[in-house]
Amino acid sequence: MMNDEFCQRHSTVHISFIIYNRTGDPVIIQKLLTVTNLTKAYNGHIALTVPELQLPPGFHYFRGGNGSGKTTLFRTVAGLLPFSGEIVLAGKYEISRDPVAYRMRVNYAEAEPLYPSFLSARDLVGFVSKAKKSPVGQVDAVANLLGVDSFWTKPTGQFSSGMLKKLSLLLALLGTPQLVLLDEPLTTLDVATAEKLFAYIQQLHTSEGVSFLLTSHQDVSLTGLPITSVWQVNEGVITTTT
Amino acid sequence: MKGLLRPQLNHAMLTFLNRIFISPFYAKNAGTFLVILLLAFGFLSATEHKALITAALGSPFFLAIVFVLWTLYLLKTIAFIWQELTAPEHLFLQTFWLIPTSKRWALWLAIQTGLLLPIIAYAGWMIQLGIHFQRWDSLSAIVLVILILLIMGATAADYRLRHPNPDSLRLPHLTVQLPYELFFPAYWLRHEPLSFVLTKSFSGLLLAGVCRLYPTDDYDQRLLLIGLLLAVLGHSQVGGQISEFEKKYLLFLENLPLSWLQRFARYAFTYGLIWFPELLILLRNCPSEIRFDYVIWLWLTGWGCILLMHSLSYGRTIIPERWLSGVLATFIGGLLAIMFGVPVGAWLVLGWLGAIGFWYRSVLT
Repeated sequence: MMNDEFCQRHSTVHISFIIYNRTGDPVIIQKLLTVTNLTKAYNGHIALTVPELQLPPGFHYFRGGNGSGKTTLFRTVAGLLPFSGEIVLAGKYEISRDPVAYRMRVNYAEAEPLYPSFLSARDLVGFVSKAKKSPVGQVDAVANLLGVDSFWTKPTGQFSSGMLKKLSLLLALLGTPQLVLLDEPLTTLDVATAEKLFAYIQQLHTSEGVSFLLTSHQDVSLTGLPITSVWQVNEGVITTTT
Repeated sequence: MKGLLRPQLNHAMLTFLNRIFISPFYAKNAGTFLVILLLAFGFLSATEHKALITAALGSPFFLAIVFVLWTLYLLKTIAFIWQELTAPEHLFLQTFWLIPTSKRWALWLAIQTGLLLPIIAYAGWMIQLGIHFQRWDSLSAIVLVILILLIMGATAADYRLRHPNPDSLRLPHLTVQLPYELFFPAYWLRHEPLSFVLTKSFSGLLLAGVCRLYPTDDYDQRLLLIGLLLAVLGHSQVGGQISEFEKKYLLFLENLPLSWLQRFARYAFTYGLIWFPELLILLRNCPSEIRFDYVIWLWLTGWGCILLMHSLSYGRTIIPERWLSGVLATFIGGLLAIMFGVPVGAWLVLGWLGAIGFWYRSVLT
């Protein structure tokens, strides 16, 4: 009972996981992501406080109302926002001390992506895939899966919101990430693409050990993913519900 | 009840549009206004202004120059309105189209009056002097031009509202992949063409001017350095523009696994492209007394100094007044240092080391 209360108060979960790398060797990972003493403030107003958060590999679902701090958490973990505190991936890559190694392993898809209207998916993917050192053939495979190849050279100014979403998901799946943050992946995505996306995500987790953090205002069971843990974000405070 | 509500609604709408167009325009250009005020009223006294106005009232050519300057200002206000109308966060403004045409026009004219207030105030001063000197022809011309400018501004704003268009310039879409280093130059050219043209023409004409001025008297290389200083300061807003562009449209940049040096190198390349026309201008207009290598050093110095301003402004929220005060202080300090004979080599080292140092520091913090 005491332990439960402690975990809830400090948003802490300790679980060991065994995953298999590409050569088939077992790798034990206890904590995929560790967040300690994180504070994020906008103009002096504290938007997010995380005393301690430890996530094992898997699928972690963060839920909460509008403005609760979910996107701020995701953007902070993705390295998009300055903050005070410590974020460590796989026990060794600290976001500030190892900025390149960390960002090579953590990807992020925005909830409401916006790109320069004159750029095409080809321009943006060309740049991001090079920076993330995307494996040969990955861009074609994922672009085909999400249907981005059908509007590859079209300027994003002519995209629908669903097309923009597909492009942002494609960008977030490039490279060899260990952790992918998907902010509202279901929003504006058509059912057929959503099915393909979540099947691919499940495959990435099984074969390559990639973990995912998700937010959604829709029913997360629609994704068909085996959710490892569910977290509640409320007024910038995170508590576990599982 | 309806009748009572209408004036209140109109007032509310005007207040709302004021917050979208007028206040941000002055906030965004506060620095420019500060410099103009300092230059116009710091170097010229009220008596000298009166003398200038009197000369303009008596000379159609001089008056025409004043009108051209006012038209340039009008273009700046139109560019701002067009930019705001096409900004994704202001898409809801399309509903403004649903307001009856006469009322919409009245609101546009009110907005344009607010935006043209500085020149209307100056025109008022000119009219006062025109009445005093009984120059009815010039006075009528001033009133007419102000009315034309107001109508032109309102027409242009309403045209953009009725013809929403994501690209300011309908440039053809490229069939080849655009590298990251060209993202901002392409955005600048397509979405903020007036800023692009004004910045580059100011810098280019200034450098060409000092190069042409050089052989006309007993000038030394300090003249070229002063020209370079002004051309560089003419680019002072570019860092903020890049920062704003990337923050708005390329949010994923901070998530990319690029080291501080790789990021710096990419910006250096982008600025090298932006600053490249100045190299051609310097080479084309270089006085015969100046050695070729000196021109190259000058250009490299300018490149480093522009990068230094980028490192100082990127990703930071700086109050425009404070930034422009800094630019003005840099101009005065730089001018003094140049006059005391600080050579181009020192500026070169200062610019590049400062750019790299401040960039590294900004990444650490």
